[in-house]
Amino acid sequence: MRVPPGVTPSTFAAALAQFTQVVGKEWVFSSDQDLALYRDAYSPFLNEPEERWAAAAVAPASSAEVQQLVRVANEQRIPIYPISTGRNLGYGGAAPAWSGSVVVDLKRMNRIIEVNEKQAYALVEPGVSYFDLHQYIQEHKLKVWIDCPDPGWGSLIGNAIDRGGGYTTAAHRNHFDSHCGMELVLPSGELLRTGMGAIPDSKTWQSYKTGCGPWVDGIFSQSNFGIVTKMGFWLMPEPEAYLRCTVAVPRYSDLSPLVDTLSYLESSRTTQGFPDIESPLIGYPPIGQIQLWNETGPPNFSEEHHRLLGGVTQGYSPELEAFGLKSGIPYWRLWLSFYGPMEVIEAQWRATQRRFAAIEGASFKVVNRLELPVDPATIENFHEPELGVPSLRIFSLGGRTPWNPTPSHGHMWFSPIIPRTGAAILEANRVFSAAARDLDMPLFRSFTLPACFWERCFVFILATPVTADPATNKRYREGFKKLIEIGGQHGWGEYRTAPVFQKAVMDVYSFNNHALQRLHETLKDAIDPNGIMSPGRYDIWPRHLRGVKS
Amino acid sequence: MSGVGCRARRIAIAGIVLGAMAPLVTLAADEPPDAHAAGRAVYTRWCAPCHAVGVTHPGTNALTVKYAGVKSGVLLEWRDLPAPVVAGIVRTGIAVMPPFRKVEIGDAELDALARYLARNTPGS
Repeated sequence: MRVPPGVTPSTFAAALAQFTQVVGKEWVFSSDQDLALYRDAYSPFLNEPEERWAAAAVAPASSAEVQQLVRVANEQRIPIYPISTGRNLGYGGAAPAWSGSVVVDLKRMNRIIEVNEKQAYALVEPGVSYFDLHQYIQEHKLKVWIDCPDPGWGSLIGNAIDRGGGYTTAAHRNHFDSHCGMELVLPSGELLRTGMGAIPDSKTWQSYKTGCGPWVDGIFSQSNFGIVTKMGFWLMPEPEAYLRCTVAVPRYSDLSPLVDTLSYLESSRTTQGFPDIESPLIGYPPIGQIQLWNETGPPNFSEEHHRLLGGVTQGYSPELEAFGLKSGIPYWRLWLSFYGPMEVIEAQWRATQRRFAAIEGASFKVVNRLELPVDPATIENFHEPELGVPSLRIFSLGGRTPWNPTPSHGHMWFSPIIPRTGAAILEANRVFSAAARDLDMPLFRSFTLPACFWERCFVFILATPVTADPATNKRYREGFKKLIEIGGQHGWGEYRTAPVFQKAVMDVYSFNNHALQRLHETLKDAIDPNGIMSPGRYDIWPRHLRGVKS
Repeated sequence: MSGVGCRARRIAIAGIVLGAMAPLVTLAADEPPDAHAAGRAVYTRWCAPCHAVGVTHPGTNALTVKYAGVKSGVLLEWRDLPAPVVAGIVRTGIAVMPPFRKVEIGDAELDALARYLARNTPGS
């Protein structure tokens, strides 16, 4: 029997017996064979002593059972670690942040409590995946869309409280921002509802976010102050039509005006869909087509094009630019999408073209014009999440394909937030490509373009592979931490990270002698005085472990 | 989407709403009982998004490359897939495919899935 650190075997056995009374024998797991299923399949410590293991796992079916489990954990001082679907691969999976914690597996709490078509919201439990909610909406022929991440088998709640992102409109892509109302079990075992849900028999829990008084929802994301057992989400009314368009510009120096114009158009809500920047000339795909490149292969370049790409620095050479101008291959291409009534979105696209036309040589194309809804066979021709449909196609990234004959064992995402400017793209490329070279990490194509999941900023995503070789993984882990530190030196910080790197990332958020981290600890001590809940998550440790484990 | 696929999807939906995966299959009087209804439902819910036919399925792509010239990359077409191999890979994962927990695919469901995928394998 595995035992949590600091807990005696007899105490743990008694706690497991009490857990069993709550959920039944079938839903308490303590054999090594069963606990292996709670390992992080993409752990950067794969098969090493430091890899995170659970001491047990327990799977409740209701908020009431969660309350009872938490009360037992509090009485017996057992560290617990809630997971929703355990599918945030690359960010920790189902494994606890602190080895020896008991995973509280919420997958069985899979009720879709309400989908309100007229008010366009859903209320769900943590075990509900994007696939589940999408299928429910299809089955019930409801005219609402979800916004889902890649891949789509994760939990709405888990992804939102990990602050993940999706691919439809700006109002929905930020999954934490698009939530409305939470129900939580606090470390004391007490049940709490936030926002308007704090009113008994509230009529507007999913219609007004903040209620009255301090709005506390944010402290329950990327933290360890409670177990979210229900959460509301605003959905998008099914749009009447969809336009997918491109803006292509010819020169390297066009990147800055391209980004600045995009910022204006997005901040003024002239465009709403996921903006996606590619470089046809450098050969860097738009995020929405990465899976397509993995499935059918990257574009074929001419011999001359290949040769010129060998001579670029920061994605540039005068010869490559001249070749692009001569061949009609744009340096940059921005993909934009519009959702709404056709006459509205066509007007938005016209205004968009007018603004971009200030860039000399800009050219425009409508790639798709759809009257919605469309059938599933049509949706397969798109990056499905941009049409609100979950998919697992993203597993072509890292998986075996004709262009990737050696699949990885997983990956870890290095993903700092950088400013929404062309200059920041160039600086991030300069800084991180030099670092990757020094650290001997295989992070870079010749140039990397950032993602636009959230308004007002970029996220500069670099995938670091997890291999079967511990020595290589060690080098990559250390390199990853160095990248975090280098990012911090430039004023950039990660938006989210796996437990292995949470201390390194939070150390970057150090303004005024780590005032923010100290506030997190103050909250931890007040809300969870026994320190039972997810010790170490986002480097928030209970008092008795502070300075010992972190 | 075939009629079988649609039916299996409805079964999965019933499972979500009721919090159980009991296969609620209604058969016409003259239709033979489907010995693999439960296994097919598990396959449709958990495996098909990666392993169904076509280039948009990364599991199928991976197996197509791995077994090029040997056999199809489509799991449902395999004739050499013993049930214990299915059960083993679902619980251990392979390459970028993670293992599946018992709250996702229970032991009885895994058994049904393994028998379904092994249905064309001699000796299974």
